[in-house]
Amino acid sequence: MKNVSKYPWCRALSGIGFAAAVMAGCASVPAPTEQVAVAKAAVANAAGAGGPEFASVEMRTAQEKLDGANQAMAAQDYERALWLADQAQVDAQLAVARAHSARAQQTANALQEDSRVLREELNRKNR
Amino acid sequence: MLNHRFLPLSLAAIATLAACALVPNTSLEEARGSYAAAQTDPQVVKLAAGELYQAGEALNKANDAWSKREETARVDQLAYLAKQRVAIAQETVRQKEAEMAAASAGAERDKIRLEARTAEADAAQRNAAASQRIAEASQRSAEASQLVSEASQRQSEASQRQAQNAEARSRQLEGQLKELDARKTARGLVITLGDVLFDTNKAQLKPGGMRGVQKLADVLKEYPQRSVLIEGFTDSTGSKIHNQELSDRRANAVQTALLDAGIGADRIGTVGYGVTYPVASNATAEGRQMNRRVEIIVSGESEPIASR
Repeated sequence: MKNVSKYPWCRALSGIGFAAAVMAGCASVPAPTEQVAVAKAAVANAAGAGGPEFASVEMRTAQEKLDGANQAMAAQDYERALWLADQAQVDAQLAVARAHSARAQQTANALQEDSRVLREELNRKNR
Repeated sequence: MLNHRFLPLSLAAIATLAACALVPNTSLEEARGSYAAAQTDPQVVKLAAGELYQAGEALNKANDAWSKREETARVDQLAYLAKQRVAIAQETVRQKEAEMAAASAGAERDKIRLEARTAEADAAQRNAAASQRIAEASQRSAEASQLVSEASQRQSEASQRQAQNAEARSRQLEGQLKELDARKTARGLVITLGDVLFDTNKAQLKPGGMRGVQKLADVLKEYPQRSVLIEGFTDSTGSKIHNQELSDRRANAVQTALLDAGIGADRIGTVGYGVTYPVASNATAEGRQMNRRVEIIVSGESEPIASR
């Protein structure tokens, strides 16, 4: 008797608990203001580091994701905002890495070309 | 009773979990693959250790979420982040490699510049040396020309002296042969031994003729380059054959006398002309006497005697 009477209450309680947990799950994602700010800074950094020139694909996706994150923030879809902000940040970092590597490659090519021209000139003179 | 009621639920949960475990996450598989590739690349390990570590951390998070059976979207998200971190590590390697290539290309360029400057300096030195050699060569050439010109000057002086000497010797010879009444002709100096120097109609030289020939031999010894041609002539009296023989024998008699006086046979030629080449008319006794004669032609120093 005691068991039977106790059971529905228990079930109701667990039902409420589950609902609360789900609510809490949603509510537990705070506004990712910091992550969005970090992503914004990363995209700005990539834009300044030659990303648009040397890594246009990564640069564009980073920018789109940052825009998406801002929209999600406005819509209070914080989970999506966080998700897009993190992706935008890493995409922007990849854009920076690609820009740096392309710049270094350009420098190396220019120096190698310099060497080649000089060598050619030297050989011509020595002939 | 309680246990029995929960049993199906537990079984369902287990079945669900088992089903989950059987379905791999493709994004995660991809991230794992690219991380494994990066991890086994010694260049990545060496040049992008920090970036590789971050990629590893990101991949751990994704693996963790997957093993905890978190939502696919969450696992996908973490896998994407891990994959991008691996890409950053690889891009960092490319950057470092390019930087090293640039450094070595820069060093190479500096080295070539140095070589170029060295080569320029060497070339300048070579040019200077070449100019020096050219100058020396032209100096030597000028000296050689000078020597050649001096030599040719000396040669011309020598030939001139030689010509003068030859002329002097000729004049001297003429002087020495004057007492033999030598005449200067186009063929050379000509000495005429008149008929009176021979016995009448004979080839025997008289003592006076002998003295003349002896005198000629003495002079010829002083001028070893000169040779003589002895020509015999007669008048038209008597047979042609007799006259021919007489002219031959008289010329030979003079030759014999010269040979006896020590003149080499190679320097003496003889020819008898008989009645030909008279110098006067055979109609008078005076003329005939003039025609009976022996002419001795003395050659020049180098040229032979022209024949009649």
